[in-house]
Amino acid sequence: MNAPLTLAHYMTVAGLLFLIGIFGALTRRNIIGILMSIELMFNAANINLAAFDRFLHPDGVTGQALALFVMTVAAAEIVVGLALLLAIYRGTDTVYAEDFNLLKG
Amino acid sequence: MLDQAVFYSLTILTLASALAVVLHRNTVHSSLFLGLSLAGVAGLYASLGADFLFGAQIMVYVSGIAVLVIFVVMLLGRASDLHLRQVNERWMAALLVCFVAAVGLFKVARLQSNIVATGAAHPGTHDIGRLFLGEWLLPFELTSLILLAALLGAVFFTRTENAQ
Repeated sequence: MNAPLTLAHYMTVAGLLFLIGIFGALTRRNIIGILMSIELMFNAANINLAAFDRFLHPDGVTGQALALFVMTVAAAEIVVGLALLLAIYRGTDTVYAEDFNLLKG
Repeated sequence: MLDQAVFYSLTILTLASALAVVLHRNTVHSSLFLGLSLAGVAGLYASLGADFLFGAQIMVYVSGIAVLVIFVVMLLGRASDLHLRQVNERWMAALLVCFVAAVGLFKVARLQSNIVATGAAHPGTHDIGRLFLGEWLLPFELTSLILLAALLGAVFFTRTENAQ
C-alpha cells in the first residue's frame, strides 16, 4: 500500500473500468444499460489520457486537451443515442436490444 | 501516504459503482451508480492534478449525462422490468472476451510500473485555453460542429411526426 504510485496503477484502474464497460456493453439486455457501459469505457480512456499527461509529459496539457475532446464526443454520442432510443421505443414499445429486429429479413 | 490513501479509496469507489452499473437489476439504481462512478473518475482526475478536467467531468458527466440518462430511464421504465433478467444468455462469452482483453491490458500496464510522477502537479487551465485558441483552434471549432449536429439529430429523432 505504501509503494509510490506509478503509471501502472492508473493504467490498471483504467483497464479494469474498461473491462467492466465491455462486459456491460456485451451482456446488458436493456439498451440504456449498454449506453451507460459505453460511457464507462469512454471514462477509462480519459483516465489513461490524463495519467499519460501527468506521468510522461508533466509540463504539457496535450493529454488533458485530448480528454476534453473525448468528453465532447461522448456527450454528443449519448444525446443522439438516447434520442434514437426514444424514437425506437415509440415504434417498438420495448427497451431490450434483442427485440430491435425491424431490419430482419 | 496520503496520495496512496486517496488513490485507493477513489479506485474502490469508482470500480465498485461501475460494477453496480453493469450488474444491478434495477436500471434506475444503476443510472444513479453511474453518476457515483463518474464522480469517482472526477476524483481520480483531481488526484492527477488535472484541475480543468475535474471541473469539466463534474459539469458534463455527473450533472449532464448522468442526469439525462436518469430522465430517460424514468421515461421508458416499466414496473415489470424489475422482474426480468437484465443480462443476456451469452455472458460466458463476454467474460471470455474480457479475460482475453485483461491479459493484454495488464501486460501493457506492467511495462509502465517503474514510471513515477516527477515534480508537483500544476494547474493546467491556462495552458489548455492557450492550446485550444492557438495551436488547436481548428479542431476546437470543429467540435462545435459536432455538438450542433448532435443537437439537430436529437431534435430530429425525437419529433413525433418522424417516428412513423
